[in-house]
Amino acid sequence: MYILMKKVSCIFIVDDDPITVFGIKKMLKSAVSCDDIQIFQNGLEAHEAYQERIEEGKSAPNVIFLDINMPIMDGWEFLDELIASNPKEHITVNMITSSIDPLDYKKWNSFKIRCPFTLNFKNKPIFKIEGNELGFIEIAS
Amino acid sequence: MKAVKKIDQFYLLKQLPTATALLDQKGTLLDASSSWLNIFGLPPQENTTKTNVFSLYPEVLDLELQLLEQKSFTIQHQLKNPEGTRYLKSSFAPWFDNKENVIGAIIQTDDITSEVKKEEEIKWLKTILETKVEVSHTGWWEFDMIKEELTWCKETKRIHQVPDCFQPTTIEAINFYKTGYSQNKVSMLFHNSMVNHQPFDAEVILVTFEGEDRWVRVTGKPIIENGKAIKIYGTIKDIHEQVLSETKIQEHQQLLTTLVDSLPLNVYVKDLKTRKILVNKSECNYLGKKAEEIIGKTDFDLYDEEIARVSWEEDISVMKNLSPIIGKETINILNGKATNYLTSKIPYFDIEGKVCGLIGVSLDITSMKRKEEQLRDLIKVTSMQNQKLISFAHIVSHNLRSHSANFSMLLEFLNSEKNPEERQRIIKMLSKASDNLLETLGNLNQVVDINTKTSETKRPLKLRQNIISVLGNLAALLEKNDSEIINNVSEAIEVNCVPAYLDSIILNLVSNAVKYKSDKRKSLVTIDAVKSNEGVLLSISDNGIGINLAKYGDKVFGMYKTFHNRKDAKGFGLYLVKNQIEAMGGSITVQSEIDKGTTFNVYFNEES
Repeated sequence: MYILMKKVSCIFIVDDDPITVFGIKKMLKSAVSCDDIQIFQNGLEAHEAYQERIEEGKSAPNVIFLDINMPIMDGWEFLDELIASNPKEHITVNMITSSIDPLDYKKWNSFKIRCPFTLNFKNKPIFKIEGNELGFIEIAS
Repeated sequence: MKAVKKIDQFYLLKQLPTATALLDQKGTLLDASSSWLNIFGLPPQENTTKTNVFSLYPEVLDLELQLLEQKSFTIQHQLKNPEGTRYLKSSFAPWFDNKENVIGAIIQTDDITSEVKKEEEIKWLKTILETKVEVSHTGWWEFDMIKEELTWCKETKRIHQVPDCFQPTTIEAINFYKTGYSQNKVSMLFHNSMVNHQPFDAEVILVTFEGEDRWVRVTGKPIIENGKAIKIYGTIKDIHEQVLSETKIQEHQQLLTTLVDSLPLNVYVKDLKTRKILVNKSECNYLGKKAEEIIGKTDFDLYDEEIARVSWEEDISVMKNLSPIIGKETINILNGKATNYLTSKIPYFDIEGKVCGLIGVSLDITSMKRKEEQLRDLIKVTSMQNQKLISFAHIVSHNLRSHSANFSMLLEFLNSEKNPEERQRIIKMLSKASDNLLETLGNLNQVVDINTKTSETKRPLKLRQNIISVLGNLAALLEKNDSEIINNVSEAIEVNCVPAYLDSIILNLVSNAVKYKSDKRKSLVTIDAVKSNEGVLLSISDNGIGINLAKYGDKVFGMYKTFHNRKDAKGFGLYLVKNQIEAMGGSITVQSEIDKGTTFNVYFNEES
């Protein structure tokens, strides 16, 4: 179907659940072409890797899949750090959670307002990754 | 001879003891006794002094005419001189010679000043008596026992509502009293007075002549002469209105006393010096004293200094500012027992509107207060349980949801996957997801069990022995981590605990202490226990990596919360421990410093 698979240079998956990670990776395979997919078990690991990339002069990851409930540093704390680092490139962050707690949704809304980049909210289960979640501008046919 | 005779006669006259004088027919004084002359202040009479008697009786104008009638008569007259008025009585009698011819008159004069004075006094006393009767509306009566005659004064007749001309007999008089008690009483008293000479004073009912019932006060007193009662004198007074109003007052008093006494309130009245002048039954019961023991006392005599002072200040403020205290919640302590009251203090005014004390009313609300507290505790427990339930429901939904989401996702993959190798991988993932779900369900079950099991299974356990047996089970872990455990718990300490929970608590806390050891030093875990009045405090301290409490303080005991990047950290152990301790009525706290160590304090509740 796809004449040309769209390309993304770097994707972060931050989630402590190996099954979810497996699922995201599998879905990405059919949606986008990316040679640099990095997996992190919690926010702190991802944050440290991000800092390292910036210090090495590399570009920020284009897309981040971010779980909310994680040990050591949760998704919200990671977002705080990311906003504070004021990234130069455009990033698309997809919050992925099984939580249906309205508090989490509210929190996402308040983050969205002060977020300089795209912040999506995606409830599990996920079956497909949409184009806008990969930072593509959808063109209506 | 005639001269000698005359001298004899006159000489005799001079010496007569009664004042006597002789007149001739013309009224000229022939001679008189010395006492007679003395009365009129005349010198001794001689033949030459011709004293005219009429001049001595200037107020008796017709004396000469009366004398001419030659009959005996008596006149009263006065003699005024500087020492006062003398009242005199002179009797005139014709003087006959031996042939029965009137030759003059004989006067005999008596000084009756004292009699006149007495008469005047009696008159005066009568006037006073009449005035008294008139003013006091007190009538009098008199019974002459010799003549058997009863006399009523006008007022007495008025009281009986009989006409002034009514002359009562004793029987009639007694019949005026109401048949029954009154009549019997009066007859008995009257008889007693006559026979035993007893005075009396009684309040009885009289049925007047017009048939009206009236309360009267009747008194009587015998007058004794030579040891015999000759008269009974007494009074009677209409006291009907007075008795009626007294009865009314008594009825009011009775109503008020019954009302105040039967109120389920402590009621008291205090005077300006805060002395109690009235207390009701409830107040007596509360103080455990009789009313007589409380009256006249202040709160300082009844309560401890501190309590009395607070009450005294309220009293003074109420009486000084005339502003009542209404429904103030107070606590009274008597003999060490506290009672909650809803107290009102109201200024008490006398008839002239001047404050003369205060009225206090206190409602015992101790039981209500206790219920209120119980209710508040219950609400606290309920809201805590509710909070826990919400949080648990949230955990359940979140954890189960995340597993079911994984199942959905994996099954969707399996549906569209053709590659057999890839399908195999997905199936492996599915079975892992299933294992995870089972584990989660097992954990949740454990928590539900803790919260539903009753505390009946609690029993006293030797703490030291239990620690030693758990350490035995952990031997492999301790050896692997090269941990040293110091068990300072004394043999004597016992805790009231569910055995499985105690094991779980010790196991989780000790294994955590070992697992989160620091790589920089040898792992050391110290276990202490202290018994106090509140129960047993168990402390498990390590020298491990510590927890950032500023950051995770509220999450330490949360479900599936982990703060260390360790594979074996599932975030369930402390959640379980907290639930187990709280289910037994105890609590758990944590103290920690990063890279120094962590101490968990477990408080066991000794109540079963």
